[in-house]
Amino acid sequence: MDNGFVLAGIRPLPAPRCEKETWYKGRPVLSFCLFFLIAAGCLFCEAFIPKDPTFMDFYHANTAPNSEFWFGTDTMGRDIFSMIWYGGRISLLIGLLGAGISAFIGILLGAISGLGPEWLDGLLMRFTELFLSIPNLLLVLLLQAFLGEADVWSLSFVIGVTSWTNIAKVVRTEVRQLRGCEYVIAARCAGAGFFRIVFIHLLPNFFASILFMAVMNIRSAVSAEAALSFLGLGLPLEVISWGSMLSLSEQAFLSGLWWLILIPGVFLIMTLLCITNIGNYIRKGKSQTVSPQSPHLR
Amino acid sequence: MRDELLAVENLTYCFRHEKHIAIQAVDNLSFQIREGEILGLVGESGSGKSTMARCIMNIYRPESGRILYQGIDVWNPKEFRRHKRLLQTSRQFIFQDSSSSLNPKQTVEQIIAEPLKIHGQKPERGTFRGEAAFQLNQVGLGEECLDQYPNQLSGGMRQRVAIARALTMKPRLLVADEPIASLDVSIQAQMINLLKRLQKEHGFSMLFIAHDLAVVHYLCDRVGVMYQGKLLELGPVTEVFENPCHTYTKSLIGAIPIPDPRLERARVLPEFEKENLEWRGQKTEVSFGHFVWR
Repeated sequence: MDNGFVLAGIRPLPAPRCEKETWYKGRPVLSFCLFFLIAAGCLFCEAFIPKDPTFMDFYHANTAPNSEFWFGTDTMGRDIFSMIWYGGRISLLIGLLGAGISAFIGILLGAISGLGPEWLDGLLMRFTELFLSIPNLLLVLLLQAFLGEADVWSLSFVIGVTSWTNIAKVVRTEVRQLRGCEYVIAARCAGAGFFRIVFIHLLPNFFASILFMAVMNIRSAVSAEAALSFLGLGLPLEVISWGSMLSLSEQAFLSGLWWLILIPGVFLIMTLLCITNIGNYIRKGKSQTVSPQSPHLR
Repeated sequence: MRDELLAVENLTYCFRHEKHIAIQAVDNLSFQIREGEILGLVGESGSGKSTMARCIMNIYRPESGRILYQGIDVWNPKEFRRHKRLLQTSRQFIFQDSSSSLNPKQTVEQIIAEPLKIHGQKPERGTFRGEAAFQLNQVGLGEECLDQYPNQLSGGMRQRVAIARALTMKPRLLVADEPIASLDVSIQAQMINLLKRLQKEHGFSMLFIAHDLAVVHYLCDRVGVMYQGKLLELGPVTEVFENPCHTYTKSLIGAIPIPDPRLERARVLPEFEKENLEWRGQKTEVSFGHFVWR
């Protein structure tokens, strides 16, 4: 103790354990692969489906899955394996279109509400709440009744028009936060119009927070189509989609044709699960907020 | 005497927080900026410099008073609409904080070309990219920055990009709201020299807001001193710095540190207390072009 320095003690620390970072950790790889497989299969179905999905083969109606009809045939003798891929196109198209329409309306109304004067904001938000308070299915039925016979376009329009409220709410809050930013003020000083400010300056900056909802809207649009078709209010039987395939299932219940329900149902649920998983992954990634600062700062 | 480019007449602006609380940020302010001159505005933080700049740029609507830019009353909706293009192109604003005044999701090229695209102007140098590269070159940056995003650049480079964006429209009036306050000292010096050079080359007028007196002394032709939303003194830079008339200006100039520690210690700071500020708004001309409001 004569050198003036006292060692207070050295605590031996265990060597930090390095956990191997695996690239797939926390990523929904299986969901991505499955969804990709289903989407690609639907897109390029002409290349591999063995039968014409619309051809009604009455000699082979109601056959159980066998080596010729892999997933069996339905009550009208159509090959379910071909119908699944062919009809998946329509289902996914309605999902994408419905989500796209709802995202567009939501962004537009949210941005008007966020940028506009206070009275307009109040008016639009009360209108949104009014819209939210009416059960969704009721609105869909009402609108579809106005539009008459359902086809792909009218159905996705109806689904889109009824599901924009949550996006509008989020967009409004985000725009309220961003509109005081100096780059928005700078753009306005330079004379940028409303659409330029919304789609060039605001949208890229709040896109991450609505991406989750937009993806989830694809899911709800796909399931809404299936639900409506199941109820007999959606696509007619001739238009093949997963929903219209499921609408045959009331007969299946009575006659024990399990493959009529099981196969479209499994495909539908798998797709919805995959989309949900991907959406959840996007939401988690968003809450971590990694700043994209570049390593080579000068 | 050069022509008058901008005239601010009895400008007043209030921040209203609730019904009863109103903060007088700018109080009955009048001054002019002439063609091709640099007017500096100094004052402590909260003295209403930025608010005034934002009133000039049509961001905050003033309570009363007029702002005439080339004879156009910029807050008159009718006149604004008629001269919209002129007002939006020939007045340009440089913000204090370059990290928030550039859209983080746009590349430098898009940022610089943006005002041109808004007004549908054809780029002088052929393509938008060429124009952006030219403007970057003007402010001392290379073409390699064109495809970078603002957060990949350093603070000084970002501020240069902001200046380049302002210069694209060939402004006649540049309003710079503390453009160097968020930079470190060596970069500040570069930016000041850059602004000085650009002003000489392009001949635009500039309203330069700062709280650094030395910078104002070096850069500006005339200087105005603000305190609590009021303009206390206005005059040619050398005149104001050598012969400050208002007590606040005296204490402000007296507070500039002297590099010699012996002189610095021996120095007596002129007293200035808030209560002593009796402001009746009487304008007196001390010498030619040098005004004091007391």
